[in-house]
Amino acid sequence: MRFMVIVKASKDSEAGVMPTEQMLNEMGAFNVELEKAGVMLAGEGLHPSSKGKRIRFDGTKRSVIDGPFAETKELVAGFWVIQTKSMDEAVEWMKRAPFREGEEIEIRRVFEVEEFGDSLAPEYREQEERLRAAGGYRK
Amino acid sequence: MRFMMLMIPKGYESAPPKLELPVDRVEAMMKYNESLQKAGVLLALDGLHPLSSGARVSFAGGKPKVTDGPYAEAKEVLGGYWMIDVRSKEEAIEWAKRCPAAENEVIEIRQVQEMSDFPEDVQRAAAGLPEIQEKVGQRRG
Repeated sequence: MRFMVIVKASKDSEAGVMPTEQMLNEMGAFNVELEKAGVMLAGEGLHPSSKGKRIRFDGTKRSVIDGPFAETKELVAGFWVIQTKSMDEAVEWMKRAPFREGEEIEIRRVFEVEEFGDSLAPEYREQEERLRAAGGYRK
Repeated sequence: MRFMMLMIPKGYESAPPKLELPVDRVEAMMKYNESLQKAGVLLALDGLHPLSSGARVSFAGGKPKVTDGPYAEAKEVLGGYWMIDVRSKEEAIEWAKRCPAAENEVIEIRQVQEMSDFPEDVQRAAAGLPEIQEKVGQRRG
């Protein structure tokens, strides 16, 4: 099963405060562990939402809204995509992540093409598989 | 430049674990996905199960605490994402505008951090990351 681990934004991440060298080293060591165990498929950090945009959809109209966005706790600061046998295993791995007091991550299962069942026409199912392969993330 | 287009569907924060996807919407979205891929812009994409089957791990006091979903206090959640590689934020916005999204949906565009965005000491501390990303087969644009 694939899971997305969403790293929630904090006051610091939204303010663009850089992690200390020690924090980076701890996270680096954790990433090495994930990679060695074959658990990590992808991982990235995002620039603060002040440099981001949102696009709202209303019929054929699109409105572009400049960041920063309120609700810091709901914002995404970074993510991993990991592969484990179960949600429990994903949780066990992420409990070991070197986060500080007050930080929070969210773990969500990724949809696999098989789960769409008959609601996705066969040609789209093939295309979806092709697209994901082209995406280049290991599965 | 790499950007994440984060799909935030209003109401998804309270969606039940089992989801019924409308076929016509999936088909419209697949056409859009294909156009991203044909333009050579698409690096990755995924959809996420609702939060009701997810979990959150918080680190109050430095100790991990697991809370199972759903969360009454969640105001918005991620429904899925695209990772794209384009020349500018404007180009990313143009791509997002073309998405056949519904009225309850918002796409947030956020630039992905590259090593070169950071000062030297930070780059040194994170020096192993590109190697890890390469090992796991992640495409970097």
